[in-house]
Amino acid sequence: MTRQRLPGSARPDTLDWVRAIASHGGSAIDFELPNELALVQETARAFARDHLRPRDREFESARGVAAHVHRLYRELGLASLELPDTLGGAGLGALARTLVNEELAAADAGAALALDPLGPALYPLVAFGGDTALRTHALPLLERAGSRAVLAFDLLPRLQTLGGRASGILPWVTADHVDLLVVLERERAYVVSEGLHPTPLRGAALRAAGAAELRVDGVARPADWVSTPRARWALSHARLYVASLLVGVMRAAAEFSRSYAMERVAFGRPIAHHQALAFLISDMASAVDGARLLVQEAAWRLDQAADLADEPDIDSEAEVCATAFLEAAEASLFVTPNGVQILGGHGFMQDYPVEKWMREARALSLLLGGIDAAREDAGRALLGDAEPLALDPVSPGSEAGARQ
Amino acid sequence: MNFAVDDPTRERLRQIRELGKTYMRPLGIEADRLGRPTPPDDPFFKLLVQLGLGRTRWSGGPATDAAALRAHSGGGSRSVAVLAEEMSYWDRGIAVAFPGPGLGEPPVLGMGTTDQQQRFLEPFRQPDRPRWAAFAMTEPGAGSDVAGIRTSARREGNFYVLNGAKSFAANASRADWIVVFATVDPSLGREGHRAFVVERGTPGLGDFQVEHKMGLKAYESTSFTLKNCRVPAANLLGGEEHYARRAGFKGAMQSFNATRPTIAAMAVGMGRAALDESLRFAREHGLLRESRARDRLERIRRRLRAARLLCWRAAWLADLRRPNMLEASMAKAVAPAVALEAATFGMDLLGEVGGRGDHLVEKLFRDVKAMDIVEGTGQIQRIVMARQLVNLPRDGVS
Repeated sequence: MTRQRLPGSARPDTLDWVRAIASHGGSAIDFELPNELALVQETARAFARDHLRPRDREFESARGVAAHVHRLYRELGLASLELPDTLGGAGLGALARTLVNEELAAADAGAALALDPLGPALYPLVAFGGDTALRTHALPLLERAGSRAVLAFDLLPRLQTLGGRASGILPWVTADHVDLLVVLERERAYVVSEGLHPTPLRGAALRAAGAAELRVDGVARPADWVSTPRARWALSHARLYVASLLVGVMRAAAEFSRSYAMERVAFGRPIAHHQALAFLISDMASAVDGARLLVQEAAWRLDQAADLADEPDIDSEAEVCATAFLEAAEASLFVTPNGVQILGGHGFMQDYPVEKWMREARALSLLLGGIDAAREDAGRALLGDAEPLALDPVSPGSEAGARQ
Repeated sequence: MNFAVDDPTRERLRQIRELGKTYMRPLGIEADRLGRPTPPDDPFFKLLVQLGLGRTRWSGGPATDAAALRAHSGGGSRSVAVLAEEMSYWDRGIAVAFPGPGLGEPPVLGMGTTDQQQRFLEPFRQPDRPRWAAFAMTEPGAGSDVAGIRTSARREGNFYVLNGAKSFAANASRADWIVVFATVDPSLGREGHRAFVVERGTPGLGDFQVEHKMGLKAYESTSFTLKNCRVPAANLLGGEEHYARRAGFKGAMQSFNATRPTIAAMAVGMGRAALDESLRFAREHGLLRESRARDRLERIRRRLRAARLLCWRAAWLADLRRPNMLEASMAKAVAPAVALEAATFGMDLLGEVGGRGDHLVEKLFRDVKAMDIVEGTGQIQRIVMARQLVNLPRDGVS
């Protein structure tokens, strides 16, 4: 008989060779959130849904969040989520932070920044100064409503420190006023709490948090916060902080445009039922989930690994965090413009939130040195790694020759 | 929440690594060079049987539906995903050629009567030698659209007479028996499908042709024909009652899938192999000093890591018997494309060395393309996803 060849799928191949040797014990891999964290997530979700999302444009034009929302945020314990319980915090870790940030940013990323008095500035304080630094610098901010600390990851650096004074200009910080500046470099960190002169800017996005150029001319303290591993620990946490905001923003864009596409009719059917859009919507969902899983895995690893008692060896965790930031940034820059695209002309108008999410994704992914710094860090880790994704990392390197 | 591989699975990983390094990768490379499947009498297959592999999961007792269901996915979809990734890292072609009842087993376990399970799976309990079984659904004119199969089954007394052609069935020419899907009435679509166990040597079963593939050459993908092939009615899986009963569940959709995450995990393993070999080449040739090369390798590592997590999440849901159609298709839609990107970029790094046709990355570039085709193409996966996400209707192509 003639053997026509049509492009079709071959049948799935046999799987039993591997089932047969699979262990029957339960695997340790588990995506279920512990009850405590599920509760934190649900709390943040409800707060964001009820108090942030309905007023996002209002916060944006007011360059700030209403006082009672600030109050509620504190009452819920969200302001001191990662503060040690010895200082009255919830003592939770990076994973809790990523869950909360995703929920808040899915409603309003600008408000998420505005509400958090410490933000990622917390991490250098924890890494270098511990409880003492938190008492000195963090607790006063928590007590004054509307206080803001800003973290600058100063790679170039933009700020000079001569004779114990920091001076220079940061072109953009996400705040209108700054009570505390925490500067993080590759090998050290320092704090500036006076001589901070912000000049408000329009801001490309995140206006609920404010936007300013920050001229700095003040005492840099202390002088002895020098440690590459501690700086890396702080940067890793900060990257996850921003990455989880990005996950929230792109989730909102993917969700909103998905449901819009199910309502909007063109050419006789919901636009979501044209395959060009059905496939795009599917790919957007994959991008959101892939980024979220990388962020959560990285956070889980940080929580497992980091013991700050000694100089923490977190090279591999740092790479995973840089990778997660990068993926969140790239995925959000795929998802959020497509969110606008799906709404077409409406998407371009500020009556809909998708244009805001597109701007937020772009702005957030500029923070902490942005995509290029993260790519550099993640890429450098490849230099010393023969099998970067080995499932059983203790095993020796592959010896099978590449050349056949 | 936990992202660590458990200790028993880790122990298995070490075994696979040894088998992989010593046998699987060299055999896969040899088959690729010779352009033929690894023959059934290869000593490696005997070794696997001696190691206790290639056996059925059938316990030997009468099967309840619940027991059959448990046998299908057990608690180990996550382990399966992890181990499948590692096996495919070494060579996915030879992994598929492993002896055992293969894809023929799930339909026998799921639909077969106790008597049929005894007849067909008993020889796989303590196999005396490497034995294979096979599964044949795809036809020259029906791939993803399985409702379109045309192989016919006509009842004649105590026999069914089968006529038609089947394509791309793994291990079919070396199989003791093949589960063949045929239709009693093409106008009924999947309702008309029947599954038969067609035993080797049945008159009318023939024209076995091992296909020449672009890659994955170590296992045979075989086409064959059924010409007035008389199959005993006792070989109709489940008997006619099974199909009468099933008609009552028309439209009942399976809510979870453990196969797609496994296939996706295999793609991750192949992509990982391409990444490691590319990295080795880059290191040996001083290419890692260039950020252009590092950036692209970084992207591959990152996308593979994300794909792995998507596989694990879908497998975890399957283990909990929770709905995972979206997540399973997502893993399957993402991983093969990432793996192809890994091999494609690896070829870029190799440059003209990739053009020689004798580098592992070049083989992986060919091998991995299959992963976006088997077990539902990437397009089919997106259709399944869109059904979940936007209620894409099942009209026309979908």
